[in-house]
Amino acid sequence: MKKLINTPENYVDEVLAGMQAAHPETYRIGGATGRMLHRPAPVPEKVGVVSGGGFGHIPVFAGYVGDGLLDACAVGDVFASPDMNPMLESIQFADQGRGVLCVVGNYGGDRMNFDMACEMAEMDDIEARKVIVADDVAAAGPDEAEKRRGVAGFVFVTKIAGAAAAQGKTLDDVVAVTQRAADNVRSVGVALSSCTVPQAGKPTFEIADDEMEIGMGIHGEPGVRRGKLRPVDEITDEMIDMLLADKPVEAGGRIAVLINGLGATPIEELYLVFRQAKARLESAGAVIAMHLVGNYATSMEMAGASISVLHLDEELETLLTAPANCPFWKV
Amino acid sequence: MGISKNTLKLAIEKIAEKIDPIGDEMNRLDGQLGDGDLGVTLVNGFRNLQGIKDDLPDDLGRALFAMAKSVTAVSGSSFGTLLATALMAAGKQVKDQSNVAWSELPGMLQAAQDAMVARGGASLGDKTMLDMMDSLISALSGLQTPAEMLPAAKTAAEQTLDSFRDQPNKIGRARVYAEKSIGLDDPGMMAIARMIDCFETP
Repeated sequence: MKKLINTPENYVDEVLAGMQAAHPETYRIGGATGRMLHRPAPVPEKVGVVSGGGFGHIPVFAGYVGDGLLDACAVGDVFASPDMNPMLESIQFADQGRGVLCVVGNYGGDRMNFDMACEMAEMDDIEARKVIVADDVAAAGPDEAEKRRGVAGFVFVTKIAGAAAAQGKTLDDVVAVTQRAADNVRSVGVALSSCTVPQAGKPTFEIADDEMEIGMGIHGEPGVRRGKLRPVDEITDEMIDMLLADKPVEAGGRIAVLINGLGATPIEELYLVFRQAKARLESAGAVIAMHLVGNYATSMEMAGASISVLHLDEELETLLTAPANCPFWKV
Repeated sequence: MGISKNTLKLAIEKIAEKIDPIGDEMNRLDGQLGDGDLGVTLVNGFRNLQGIKDDLPDDLGRALFAMAKSVTAVSGSSFGTLLATALMAAGKQVKDQSNVAWSELPGMLQAAQDAMVARGGASLGDKTMLDMMDSLISALSGLQTPAEMLPAAKTAAEQTLDSFRDQPNKIGRARVYAEKSIGLDDPGMMAIARMIDCFETP
């Protein structure tokens, strides 16, 4: 393991401290165990929007605390769900009497703990609801879409939730439009090398120097196909094919595209992916209303990339392009 | 006298007194089936509960929720999560009440069991703590006092362990060891049985 860290045990807490030190105007550490990142103050008179999940994916999840995004976020250990308590603290922080939406990646621990946090919040007369992000088409077929993992599509879904809340919508409306975003986002990734969980000290999985794995999850969950590394245009084609097979674009259909780096892949290579993805999506008839190229959902030093496509309607596009600001993304 | 926050406090104290040896035993048992964190969860969970037992709210529902919260703060183990789930479900049954008749205990356990089924995905007969809960609910239904309930619970717990010992585990990590689990007591079941034993008056 070769990392710029002090001790594995303190990794998460020290990174959070660094984030707060760098961006005190946006991030504050809170909660009994210091595992909640929240805005300096809750925003009055709006529905709260929170999330939470394992660490090691910055900016996902806690990095998206900011204007027009998350009000607060629970932080777990690397690749491990937070327990229910920081989730409840996040809900309590964000609640301004109009209820709270929890945007949750489709992982067992995250879901279960958010379920409990929402029940706990109910005891305090806070209405807390969940929208599950399950966008990874490689994780399960369309007939088992509820088993798909949540990956980089989280970024779009969170943006929609934050914007809807900022517009003053009711909890019902925020939940409905956020659910629609979750239903209309698809992602797929390719991994070229593993990451190392600090407390594990060893790479999460083995992969040969000349191999790639299409569809691998952001914690190294098995993908759909492992094979020899090929030119980026061919890899991009394979991923676009998977995305379009799962949810085709209509002629003139407006979409948002995220070319996401997993951590160790240079931005240059992400532009190569975008170049080919744009050509393919446009030749399929899509109109790209928004695109992002960069590291938006990472797995520490994992090399590789993912492509996410959000199929837009008028309201989703308005919300997606509404102002938002966090240290990792400004709209 | 029914069930109040003082009953919960007493229960925490009684179990916490013996939780270290119980934890060791559960770790041994659980370790044979490949997981091995049940004992740790119990020991840490009751250490946390000891920390809050003197500050439980009067509202029994809120008191049980506070216990759930404290249990979840110790670990992400599935047993801890299920225990918290059970406490919350029982708590919902008695929200806004500070004293509940003992005859309501089976109903609280039933709510706890239903919530654990919904969250954990196990079914009756899978050889999990649900089967233990089920026997306890049957054994305690219709009884009015803790004096009647304790011996009934003990007998039911022993019978349940006996009747499931030679069956395979059908869910969770132990399922992988289904064959191996034959002849072994399920750690979750055993944990409940041992906790009941803690209430024996010396």
